[in-house]
Amino acid sequence: MQCSDVREKLSAYLEGIVSAEEKPLIDEHLKVCERCSESLADLKKALELVRNLEEVEPPPWMTQKVMARVRSETEVKRGILQKIFYPLHIKLPIEALAVIFVALMSVHVYRTMQPEMKLIEAPLEEAKLRALSEEKEEIPAADKGKPTGQFLVAEKRAKHRAEYRAPAKAMKPEPAAPSAGAVVRDELEAKAPPSKLRLARVGRGREGISLTVNVKAIEAASEEIEEALVQLGGKIIKKEHSQDKSLITAELDSERVEKLSEKLRSIGELKEKAPAYEAREGTMKVNIRIEIIKTAPHP
Amino acid sequence: MSFDEGTNCLAGLSNGIRGMKQPIEDGDHEFVSLCKKGDVEAFEVLVKKHQKAMFNIAYRMLGSYDEASDVVQDAFISAYRGIKGFKGRAKFSTWLYAIVMNLSKNRLKQLRTKVHHEKYSIDNPMPMDEGRAHGEPASGEPSALERLEKKDIQQKVQDCIGSLDEEFREVLVLRDIQGFSYDEIGDVLKVPEGTVKSRLFRARETVRDCLKMLMGDLYHAVQ
Repeated sequence: MQCSDVREKLSAYLEGIVSAEEKPLIDEHLKVCERCSESLADLKKALELVRNLEEVEPPPWMTQKVMARVRSETEVKRGILQKIFYPLHIKLPIEALAVIFVALMSVHVYRTMQPEMKLIEAPLEEAKLRALSEEKEEIPAADKGKPTGQFLVAEKRAKHRAEYRAPAKAMKPEPAAPSAGAVVRDELEAKAPPSKLRLARVGRGREGISLTVNVKAIEAASEEIEEALVQLGGKIIKKEHSQDKSLITAELDSERVEKLSEKLRSIGELKEKAPAYEAREGTMKVNIRIEIIKTAPHP
Repeated sequence: MSFDEGTNCLAGLSNGIRGMKQPIEDGDHEFVSLCKKGDVEAFEVLVKKHQKAMFNIAYRMLGSYDEASDVVQDAFISAYRGIKGFKGRAKFSTWLYAIVMNLSKNRLKQLRTKVHHEKYSIDNPMPMDEGRAHGEPASGEPSALERLEKKDIQQKVQDCIGSLDEEFREVLVLRDIQGFSYDEIGDVLKVPEGTVKSRLFRARETVRDCLKMLMGDLYHAVQ
Protein backbone atom coordinates (compact mmCIF):
# COMPACT_ATOMS: atom_id res chain seq x y z
CA MET A 1 0.00 0.00 0.00
CA GLN A 2 1.35 3.44 -0.92
CA CYS A 3 1.64 6.33 1.58
CA SER A 4 -0.93 8.41 -0.32
CA ASP A 5 -3.48 5.57 -0.19
CA VAL A 6 -2.89 5.12 3.53
CA ARG A 7 -3.16 8.84 4.37
CA GLU A 8 -6.48 9.06 2.52
CA LYS A 9 -7.86 6.38 4.79
CA LEU A 10 -6.39 7.55 8.06
CA SER A 11 -9.57 9.32 9.19
CA ALA A 12 -11.67 6.24 8.50
CA TYR A 13 -8.99 4.09 10.13
CA LEU A 14 -9.27 6.21 13.28
CA GLU A 15 -13.01 5.67 13.34
CA GLY A 16 -12.58 1.98 12.67
CA ILE A 17 -14.69 2.02 9.55
CA VAL A 18 -12.14 0.72 7.05
CA SER A 19 -12.84 -2.63 5.43
CA ALA A 20 -11.52 -5.85 6.92
CA GLU A 21 -9.19 -6.28 3.92
CA GLU A 22 -7.75 -2.77 4.19
CA LYS A 23 -7.14 -2.71 7.95
CA PRO A 24 -4.19 -5.25 8.08
CA LEU A 25 -2.61 -3.57 5.10
CA ILE A 26 -2.76 -0.16 6.78
CA ASP A 27 -1.47 -1.62 10.04
CA GLU A 28 1.52 -3.11 8.26
CA HIS A 29 2.26 0.13 6.46
CA LEU A 30 2.09 2.23 9.63
CA LYS A 31 4.62 -0.08 11.31
CA VAL A 32 7.21 0.57 8.65
CA CYS A 33 6.32 4.17 7.57
CA GLU A 34 7.29 6.83 10.11
CA ARG A 35 5.71 9.74 8.13
CA CYS A 36 2.37 8.04 7.88
CA SER A 37 2.51 7.13 11.57
CA GLU A 38 3.28 10.74 12.41
CA SER A 39 0.45 11.88 10.18
CA LEU A 40 -1.90 9.54 12.00
CA ALA A 41 -0.72 10.87 15.37
CA ASP A 42 -1.27 14.46 14.20
CA LEU A 43 -4.73 13.62 12.99
CA LYS A 44 -5.52 11.93 16.26
CA LYS A 45 -4.30 15.00 18.15
CA ALA A 46 -6.35 17.38 15.98
CA LEU A 47 -9.42 15.26 16.43
CA GLU A 48 -8.82 15.18 20.15
CA LEU A 49 -8.55 18.98 20.27
CA VAL A 50 -11.71 19.42 18.29
CA ARG A 51 -13.64 16.93 20.38
CA ASN A 52 -12.35 18.50 23.56
CA LEU A 53 -13.72 21.88 22.66
CA GLU A 54 -15.69 23.04 25.62
CA GLU A 55 -19.38 23.48 25.24
CA VAL A 56 -20.36 27.09 25.19
CA GLU A 57 -23.21 28.09 27.44
CA PRO A 58 -25.92 30.08 25.70
CA PRO A 59 -26.78 33.44 27.21
CA PRO A 60 -28.97 33.05 30.31
CA TRP A 61 -31.65 35.23 28.77
CA MET A 62 -31.96 33.04 25.68
CA THR A 63 -35.07 31.11 26.74
CA GLN A 64 -36.74 34.22 28.08
CA LYS A 65 -36.08 36.19 24.94
CA VAL A 66 -37.18 33.42 22.61
CA MET A 67 -40.38 32.87 24.58
CA ALA A 68 -41.10 36.59 24.72
CA ARG A 69 -40.91 36.69 20.93
CA VAL A 70 -43.03 33.55 20.64
CA ARG A 71 -45.69 34.96 22.97
CA SER A 72 -45.77 38.31 21.23
CA GLU A 73 -46.23 36.51 17.92
CA THR A 74 -49.00 34.40 19.36
CA GLU A 75 -50.76 37.48 20.71
CA VAL A 76 -50.48 39.26 17.39
CA LYS A 77 -51.82 36.19 15.65
CA ARG A 78 -54.69 35.91 18.10
CA GLY A 79 -55.36 39.62 17.77
CA ILE A 80 -55.65 39.36 14.02
CA LEU A 81 -57.80 36.24 14.26
CA GLN A 82 -60.05 37.90 16.83
CA LYS A 83 -60.46 40.92 14.61
CA ILE A 84 -61.33 38.73 11.66
CA PHE A 85 -63.64 36.34 13.47
CA TYR A 86 -65.03 38.65 16.13
CA PRO A 87 -68.28 39.15 14.20
CA LEU A 88 -68.83 35.41 14.41
CA HIS A 89 -69.37 35.74 18.15
CA ILE A 90 -72.33 38.00 17.50
CA LYS A 91 -73.35 36.43 14.25
CA LEU A 92 -76.91 35.71 15.24
CA PRO A 93 -77.62 39.17 16.69
CA ILE A 94 -76.21 40.70 13.53
CA GLU A 95 -78.48 38.56 11.41
CA ALA A 96 -81.44 39.40 13.60
CA LEU A 97 -80.60 43.08 13.36
CA ALA A 98 -80.26 42.73 9.63
CA VAL A 99 -83.71 41.15 9.36
CA ILE A 100 -85.25 43.88 11.52
CA PHE A 101 -83.49 46.52 9.50
CA VAL A 102 -84.70 45.08 6.21
CA ALA A 103 -88.24 44.82 7.57
CA LEU A 104 -88.24 48.41 8.77
CA MET A 105 -86.79 49.59 5.49
CA SER A 106 -89.45 47.66 3.57
CA VAL A 107 -92.23 49.27 5.61
CA HIS A 108 -90.66 52.66 5.20
CA VAL A 109 -90.27 52.26 1.46
CA TYR A 110 -93.80 50.94 1.14
CA ARG A 111 -95.22 53.83 3.09
CA THR A 112 -93.19 56.28 1.11
CA MET A 113 -94.11 54.81 -2.23
CA GLN A 114 -97.81 54.21 -1.55
CA PRO A 115 -99.01 57.80 -1.79
CA GLU A 116 -97.03 58.25 -4.97
CA MET A 117 -98.75 55.24 -6.46
CA LYS A 118 -102.09 56.63 -5.43
CA LEU A 119 -101.22 59.96 -6.95
CA ILE A 120 -101.16 58.27 -10.31
CA GLU A 121 -104.82 57.41 -10.05
CA ALA A 122 -105.64 60.41 -7.98
CA PRO A 123 -106.53 62.81 -10.81
CA LEU A 124 -109.30 60.57 -12.14
CA GLU A 125 -110.63 59.60 -8.75
CA GLU A 126 -110.29 63.04 -7.36
CA ALA A 127 -112.21 64.58 -10.22
CA LYS A 128 -115.10 62.23 -9.69
CA LEU A 129 -115.14 62.64 -5.98
CA ARG A 130 -114.80 66.35 -6.20
CA ALA A 131 -117.78 66.46 -8.50
CA LEU A 132 -119.67 64.31 -6.08
CA SER A 133 -118.70 66.58 -3.26
CA GLU A 134 -119.75 69.63 -5.14
CA GLU A 135 -123.03 68.02 -5.82
CA LYS A 136 -123.74 68.45 -2.17
CA GLU A 137 -122.29 71.88 -2.08
CA GLU A 138 -124.80 72.93 -4.63
CA ILE A 139 -127.14 73.56 -1.81
CA PRO A 140 -128.80 76.93 -2.19
CA ALA A 141 -127.09 79.84 -0.65
CA ALA A 142 -129.77 80.06 1.98
CA ASP A 143 -128.80 76.63 3.27
CA LYS A 144 -125.09 77.09 3.30
CA GLY A 145 -124.86 78.82 6.58
CA LYS A 146 -126.88 76.19 8.31
CA PRO A 147 -125.36 73.34 10.21
CA THR A 148 -126.98 70.47 8.36
CA GLY A 149 -125.67 71.43 4.93
CA GLN A 150 -122.25 72.12 6.27
CA PHE A 151 -122.24 68.80 8.01
CA LEU A 152 -122.84 66.94 4.78
CA VAL A 153 -120.03 68.67 2.98
CA ALA A 154 -117.68 68.36 5.90
CA GLU A 155 -118.50 64.70 6.23
CA LYS A 156 -117.72 64.13 2.60
CA ARG A 157 -114.43 65.92 2.82
CA ALA A 158 -113.45 64.04 5.90
CA LYS A 159 -114.05 60.81 4.05
CA HIS A 160 -111.96 61.98 1.14
CA ARG A 161 -109.18 62.88 3.47
CA ALA A 162 -109.31 59.52 5.11
CA GLU A 163 -109.13 57.82 1.77
CA TYR A 164 -106.46 59.77 0.09
CA ARG A 165 -104.50 61.26 2.94
CA ALA A 166 -102.23 64.21 2.75
CA PRO A 167 -100.27 63.65 -0.51
CA ALA A 168 -103.40 63.36 -2.59
CA LYS A 169 -104.76 66.37 -0.87
CA ALA A 170 -101.58 68.27 -1.45
CA MET A 171 -101.67 67.51 -5.10
CA LYS A 172 -105.22 68.68 -5.52
CA PRO A 173 -106.38 71.03 -2.85
CA GLU A 174 -110.02 70.83 -2.08
CA PRO A 175 -112.13 73.71 -3.17
CA ALA A 176 -112.41 76.23 -0.42
CA ALA A 177 -116.00 76.99 -1.22
CA PRO A 178 -118.50 76.16 -3.88
CA SER A 179 -118.11 78.37 -6.84
CA ALA A 180 -119.90 79.06 -10.07
CA GLY A 181 -117.70 76.50 -11.73
CA ALA A 182 -119.07 73.89 -9.39
CA VAL A 183 -122.45 74.15 -11.03
CA VAL A 184 -120.96 73.49 -14.41
CA ARG A 185 -119.13 70.49 -13.09
CA ASP A 186 -122.32 69.34 -11.44
CA GLU A 187 -124.14 69.49 -14.70
CA LEU A 188 -121.47 67.49 -16.39
CA GLU A 189 -121.63 64.99 -13.63
CA ALA A 190 -125.41 64.83 -13.87
CA LYS A 191 -125.17 63.99 -17.55
CA ALA A 192 -122.85 61.14 -16.89
CA PRO A 193 -124.61 57.96 -15.83
CA PRO A 194 -123.89 56.90 -12.29
CA SER A 195 -120.96 54.63 -12.63
CA LYS A 196 -120.34 51.59 -10.59
CA LEU A 197 -117.15 53.12 -9.34
CA ARG A 198 -118.93 56.17 -8.14
CA LEU A 199 -121.59 54.20 -6.33
CA ALA A 200 -119.06 52.00 -4.75
CA ARG A 201 -117.05 54.94 -3.65
CA VAL A 202 -120.05 56.82 -2.33
CA GLY A 203 -121.51 53.66 -0.90
CA ARG A 204 -119.01 53.90 1.87
CA GLY A 205 -120.63 57.20 2.77
CA ARG A 206 -123.85 58.70 1.54
CA GLU A 207 -125.04 59.25 -1.98
CA GLY A 208 -126.67 62.56 -2.78
CA ILE A 209 -129.60 62.92 -5.16
CA SER A 210 -131.22 66.12 -6.16
CA LEU A 211 -134.74 65.93 -7.55
CA THR A 212 -137.05 68.68 -8.71
CA VAL A 213 -140.77 68.27 -8.72
CA ASN A 214 -143.12 70.75 -10.31
CA VAL A 215 -146.44 70.89 -8.55
CA LYS A 216 -149.50 73.09 -8.49
CA ALA A 217 -149.91 73.28 -4.76
CA ILE A 218 -146.67 73.39 -2.87
CA GLU A 219 -147.98 72.85 0.60
CA ALA A 220 -150.11 69.86 -0.28
CA ALA A 221 -147.38 68.35 -2.35
CA SER A 222 -144.86 68.87 0.43
CA GLU A 223 -147.08 67.10 2.88
CA GLU A 224 -147.58 64.22 0.46
CA ILE A 225 -143.88 63.92 -0.19
CA GLU A 226 -143.07 64.02 3.52
CA GLU A 227 -145.65 61.34 4.10
CA ALA A 228 -144.22 59.24 1.31
CA LEU A 229 -140.72 59.59 2.73
CA VAL A 230 -141.90 58.47 6.13
CA GLN A 231 -143.74 55.53 4.59
CA LEU A 232 -140.61 54.49 2.74
CA GLY A 233 -138.67 54.57 5.96
CA GLY A 234 -136.85 57.77 5.15
CA LYS A 235 -135.76 60.36 7.60
CA ILE A 236 -136.56 63.98 6.98
CA ILE A 237 -133.59 66.10 7.83
CA LYS A 238 -134.75 69.51 6.84
CA LYS A 239 -137.75 71.27 5.47
CA GLU A 240 -137.83 74.73 4.01
CA HIS A 241 -140.77 76.55 2.63
CA SER A 242 -141.09 79.73 0.71
CA GLN A 243 -143.84 81.25 -1.32
CA ASP A 244 -143.40 79.31 -4.52
CA LYS A 245 -140.71 76.86 -3.57
CA SER A 246 -140.22 74.21 -0.98
CA LEU A 247 -137.13 72.13 -0.19
CA ILE A 248 -137.03 68.85 1.62
CA THR A 249 -133.79 67.19 2.52
CA ALA A 250 -134.10 63.64 3.64
CA GLU A 251 -132.22 60.43 4.08
CA LEU A 252 -133.47 57.28 2.44
CA ASP A 253 -132.35 53.77 1.71
CA SER A 254 -130.99 53.56 -1.79
CA GLU A 255 -133.21 50.68 -2.74
CA ARG A 256 -136.29 52.76 -2.02
CA VAL A 257 -135.25 55.68 -4.16
CA GLU A 258 -137.05 54.17 -7.14
CA LYS A 259 -140.30 53.96 -5.22
CA LEU A 260 -139.89 57.52 -4.10
CA SER A 261 -139.43 58.56 -7.70
CA GLU A 262 -142.66 56.85 -8.64
CA LYS A 263 -144.42 58.58 -5.79
CA LEU A 264 -143.02 61.93 -6.86
CA ARG A 265 -144.23 61.37 -10.40
CA SER A 266 -147.71 60.75 -9.08
CA ILE A 267 -147.58 63.94 -7.08
CA GLY A 268 -146.16 66.19 -9.74
CA GLU A 269 -143.88 66.46 -12.67
CA LEU A 270 -140.49 64.97 -11.82
CA LYS A 271 -137.79 66.61 -13.86
CA GLU A 272 -134.76 64.42 -13.13
CA LYS A 273 -134.66 60.73 -13.22
CA ALA A 274 -133.37 59.22 -10.04
CA PRO A 275 -130.36 56.94 -10.42
CA ALA A 276 -131.06 53.26 -10.40
CA TYR A 277 -129.44 51.50 -7.52
CA GLU A 278 -128.73 47.88 -8.00
CA ALA A 279 -129.47 45.53 -5.14
CA ARG A 280 -126.03 43.88 -5.37
CA GLU A 281 -124.41 47.13 -4.51
CA GLY A 282 -125.92 46.80 -1.09
CA THR A 283 -128.17 49.05 0.88
CA MET A 284 -126.91 52.47 1.74
CA LYS A 285 -128.33 55.69 2.95
CA VAL A 286 -128.89 58.30 0.30
CA ASN A 287 -129.29 61.95 0.92
CA ILE A 288 -132.15 63.21 -1.17
CA ARG A 289 -132.81 66.81 -1.81
CA ILE A 290 -136.24 67.35 -3.21
CA GLU A 291 -137.03 70.73 -4.60
CA ILE A 292 -140.74 71.40 -4.97
CA ILE A 293 -141.52 74.22 -7.32
CA LYS A 294 -144.88 75.67 -7.97
CA THR A 295 -145.84 75.61 -11.61
CA ALA A 296 -147.21 78.71 -13.17
CA PRO A 297 -150.97 78.51 -13.77
CA HIS A 298 -151.87 77.89 -17.37
CA PRO A 299 -153.38 80.81 -19.11
CA MET B 1 -29.82 37.72 9.02
CA SER B 2 -32.06 36.77 6.18
CA PHE B 3 -34.79 35.21 8.18
CA ASP B 4 -36.87 34.21 5.20
CA GLU B 5 -34.05 32.25 3.60
CA GLY B 6 -33.85 30.14 6.69
CA THR B 7 -37.57 29.67 7.09
CA ASN B 8 -37.99 28.75 3.45
CA CYS B 9 -35.99 25.63 4.13
CA LEU B 10 -38.52 24.44 6.69
CA ALA B 11 -40.93 22.81 4.30
CA GLY B 12 -38.14 20.94 2.60
CA LEU B 13 -36.61 19.99 5.88
CA SER B 14 -39.80 18.65 7.34
CA ASN B 15 -40.64 16.63 4.27
CA GLY B 16 -37.34 15.88 2.68
CA ILE B 17 -35.32 14.46 5.51
CA ARG B 18 -34.14 11.14 4.26
CA GLY B 19 -33.84 7.70 5.63
CA MET B 20 -36.95 7.82 7.78
CA LYS B 21 -38.53 4.59 6.71
CA GLN B 22 -39.78 3.63 10.12
CA PRO B 23 -41.56 5.58 12.83
CA ILE B 24 -38.99 7.36 14.92
CA GLU B 25 -38.91 7.33 18.66
CA ASP B 26 -38.69 10.94 19.59
CA GLY B 27 -38.60 12.08 23.19
CA ASP B 28 -39.93 15.42 22.06
CA HIS B 29 -43.03 14.00 20.40
CA GLU B 30 -45.40 14.83 23.24
CA PHE B 31 -44.28 18.42 23.52
CA VAL B 32 -44.27 18.84 19.76
CA SER B 33 -47.90 17.66 19.65
CA LEU B 34 -48.83 20.15 22.36
CA CYS B 35 -47.04 22.92 20.46
CA LYS B 36 -49.02 22.10 17.37
CA LYS B 37 -52.16 22.71 19.44
CA GLY B 38 -50.83 26.11 20.41
CA ASP B 39 -49.32 25.24 23.79
CA VAL B 40 -46.64 27.87 24.27
CA GLU B 41 -45.43 26.33 27.53
CA ALA B 42 -44.64 23.08 25.73
CA PHE B 43 -42.52 25.01 23.28
CA GLU B 44 -40.65 26.56 26.18
CA VAL B 45 -39.73 23.07 27.35
CA LEU B 46 -38.30 22.31 23.92
CA VAL B 47 -36.39 25.59 23.89
CA LYS B 48 -34.80 24.85 27.23
CA LYS B 49 -33.93 21.33 26.18
CA HIS B 50 -32.30 22.14 22.86
CA GLN B 51 -30.97 25.63 23.19
CA LYS B 52 -27.49 24.57 24.29
CA ALA B 53 -26.90 22.23 21.38
CA MET B 54 -28.44 24.78 19.02
CA PHE B 55 -26.22 27.50 20.39
CA ASN B 56 -23.05 25.40 20.15
CA ILE B 57 -23.77 24.48 16.55
CA ALA B 58 -24.34 28.12 15.68
CA TYR B 59 -21.32 29.27 17.66
CA ARG B 60 -18.99 26.74 16.03
CA MET B 61 -20.31 27.62 12.63
CA LEU B 62 -20.13 31.37 13.10
CA GLY B 63 -17.36 31.77 15.64
CA SER B 64 -19.20 34.67 17.26
CA TYR B 65 -21.15 34.57 20.47
CA ASP B 66 -23.48 37.44 19.54
CA GLU B 67 -24.14 36.17 16.03
CA ALA B 68 -24.85 32.72 17.43
CA SER B 69 -27.33 34.20 19.92
CA ASP B 70 -29.24 35.96 17.16
CA VAL B 71 -29.27 32.94 14.89
CA VAL B 72 -30.52 30.61 17.63
CA GLN B 73 -33.35 32.97 18.53
CA ASP B 74 -34.35 33.22 14.90
CA ALA B 75 -34.14 29.46 14.55
CA PHE B 76 -36.50 28.89 17.47
CA ILE B 77 -38.97 31.45 16.17
CA SER B 78 -38.76 29.88 12.77
CA ALA B 79 -39.36 26.46 14.29
CA TYR B 80 -42.36 27.73 16.24
CA ARG B 81 -43.91 29.17 13.10
CA GLY B 82 -43.32 26.01 11.13
CA ILE B 83 -43.99 23.41 13.77
CA LYS B 84 -47.42 22.58 12.36
CA GLY B 85 -45.68 21.57 9.15
CA PHE B 86 -43.34 19.22 11.00
CA LYS B 87 -44.45 15.75 9.96
CA GLY B 88 -42.39 13.76 12.45
CA ARG B 89 -40.53 11.79 9.79
CA ALA B 90 -37.30 12.70 11.58
CA LYS B 91 -36.52 13.57 15.15
CA PHE B 92 -37.62 16.99 16.21
CA SER B 93 -34.03 17.74 17.27
CA THR B 94 -32.76 16.83 13.80
CA TRP B 95 -35.32 19.15 12.28
CA LEU B 96 -34.35 21.86 14.73
CA TYR B 97 -30.61 21.49 14.09
CA ALA B 98 -31.22 21.63 10.38
CA ILE B 99 -32.94 24.97 10.87
CA VAL B 100 -30.13 26.42 12.92
CA MET B 101 -27.54 25.07 10.49
CA ASN B 102 -29.28 26.67 7.53
CA LEU B 103 -29.68 29.99 9.32
CA SER B 104 -26.02 29.85 10.34
CA LYS B 105 -24.89 29.28 6.77
CA ASN B 106 -27.09 32.10 5.54
CA ARG B 107 -25.60 34.36 8.16
CA LEU B 108 -22.10 33.33 7.13
CA LYS B 109 -22.79 34.30 3.55
CA GLN B 110 -24.01 37.69 4.67
CA LEU B 111 -20.99 38.22 6.85
CA ARG B 112 -18.65 37.16 4.10
CA THR B 113 -20.00 39.79 1.77
CA LYS B 114 -19.36 42.41 4.45
CA VAL B 115 -15.95 41.44 5.68
CA HIS B 116 -13.42 39.39 3.80
CA HIS B 117 -11.93 37.87 6.83
CA GLU B 118 -9.37 35.28 5.81
CA LYS B 119 -6.98 35.78 8.61
CA TYR B 120 -6.31 32.12 9.21
CA SER B 121 -7.28 30.69 5.89
CA ILE B 122 -5.38 27.66 4.68
CA ASP B 123 -4.64 29.40 1.39
CA ASN B 124 -3.42 32.52 3.16
CA PRO B 125 -1.86 31.41 6.41
CA MET B 126 -0.97 33.80 9.13
CA PRO B 127 2.62 35.04 9.13
CA MET B 128 4.89 32.66 10.93
CA ASP B 129 8.14 33.33 12.66
CA GLU B 130 10.57 30.47 11.99
CA GLY B 131 7.84 27.95 12.03
CA ARG B 132 6.34 29.18 15.29
CA ALA B 133 3.17 30.93 15.82
CA HIS B 134 3.11 34.49 17.07
CA GLY B 135 3.60 34.74 20.76
CA GLU B 136 6.09 31.95 21.03
CA PRO B 137 8.00 32.75 24.21
CA ALA B 138 11.73 33.19 24.35
CA SER B 139 13.78 30.61 26.16
CA GLY B 140 14.10 31.09 29.88
CA GLU B 141 10.54 32.35 30.28
CA PRO B 142 7.74 30.16 31.68
CA SER B 143 7.14 27.10 29.56
CA ALA B 144 4.97 27.38 26.52
CA LEU B 145 2.68 24.70 27.84
CA GLU B 146 2.10 26.72 30.95
CA ARG B 147 1.52 29.93 29.10
CA LEU B 148 -0.64 28.54 26.41
CA GLU B 149 -3.75 28.34 28.31
CA LYS B 150 -6.53 26.10 27.48
CA LYS B 151 -8.62 29.01 26.31
CA ASP B 152 -6.04 30.01 23.77
CA ILE B 153 -5.80 26.50 22.41
CA GLN B 154 -9.53 26.35 22.09
CA GLN B 155 -9.57 29.67 20.29
CA LYS B 156 -7.03 28.38 17.81
CA VAL B 157 -9.06 25.26 17.22
CA GLN B 158 -12.09 27.43 16.64
CA ASP B 159 -10.11 29.58 14.24
CA CYS B 160 -9.08 26.52 12.30
CA ILE B 161 -12.66 25.32 12.12
CA GLY B 162 -13.64 28.79 10.97
CA SER B 163 -11.13 28.60 8.17
CA LEU B 164 -12.96 25.64 6.61
CA ASP B 165 -15.40 26.05 3.82
CA GLU B 166 -19.02 25.74 4.93
CA GLU B 167 -19.61 22.30 3.51
CA PHE B 168 -16.58 20.93 5.42
CA ARG B 169 -17.21 22.96 8.52
CA GLU B 170 -20.77 21.76 8.96
CA VAL B 171 -19.89 18.07 8.84
CA LEU B 172 -17.00 18.57 11.28
CA VAL B 173 -19.23 20.48 13.70
CA LEU B 174 -22.02 17.93 13.54
CA ARG B 175 -19.82 14.85 13.72
CA ASP B 176 -16.79 15.73 15.87
CA ILE B 177 -18.31 18.42 18.10
CA GLN B 178 -21.96 17.43 18.36
CA GLY B 179 -21.35 13.70 17.93
CA PHE B 180 -24.08 13.08 15.38
CA SER B 181 -24.14 9.82 13.49
CA TYR B 182 -23.47 9.83 9.77
CA ASP B 183 -27.12 9.05 9.21
CA GLU B 184 -28.25 12.03 11.26
CA ILE B 185 -25.79 14.31 9.50
CA GLY B 186 -27.14 13.09 6.18
CA ASP B 187 -30.65 13.94 7.39
CA VAL B 188 -29.72 17.38 8.58
CA LEU B 189 -27.66 18.34 5.56
CA LYS B 190 -29.61 16.31 3.04
CA VAL B 191 -26.49 14.77 1.53
CA PRO B 192 -25.55 11.10 1.10
CA GLU B 193 -23.58 9.36 3.79
CA GLY B 194 -20.59 8.85 1.48
CA THR B 195 -20.43 12.55 0.84
CA VAL B 196 -20.59 13.22 4.56
CA LYS B 197 -17.61 10.93 5.18
CA SER B 198 -15.46 12.28 2.40
CA ARG B 199 -16.13 15.85 3.50
CA LEU B 200 -15.45 14.97 7.10
CA PHE B 201 -12.10 13.30 6.38
CA ARG B 202 -11.06 16.23 4.27
CA ALA B 203 -12.11 18.66 6.99
CA ARG B 204 -10.13 16.79 9.63
CA GLU B 205 -6.97 16.83 7.53
CA THR B 206 -7.38 20.55 6.95
CA VAL B 207 -7.87 21.24 10.64
CA ARG B 208 -4.86 19.06 11.48
CA ASP B 209 -2.65 21.02 9.09
CA CYS B 210 -4.08 24.31 10.37
CA LEU B 211 -3.40 23.45 13.99
CA LYS B 212 0.09 22.24 13.26
CA MET B 213 0.74 25.46 11.50
CA LEU B 214 -0.71 27.65 14.25
CA MET B 215 0.74 25.85 17.20
CA GLY B 216 4.03 24.61 15.85
CA ASP B 217 5.91 22.38 18.24
CA LEU B 218 3.34 23.07 20.92
CA TYR B 219 0.98 20.95 18.91
CA HIS B 220 2.71 17.81 20.06
CA ALA B 221 3.18 19.13 23.58
CA VAL B 222 -0.52 19.60 24.21
CA GLN B 223 -1.90 16.76 26.24
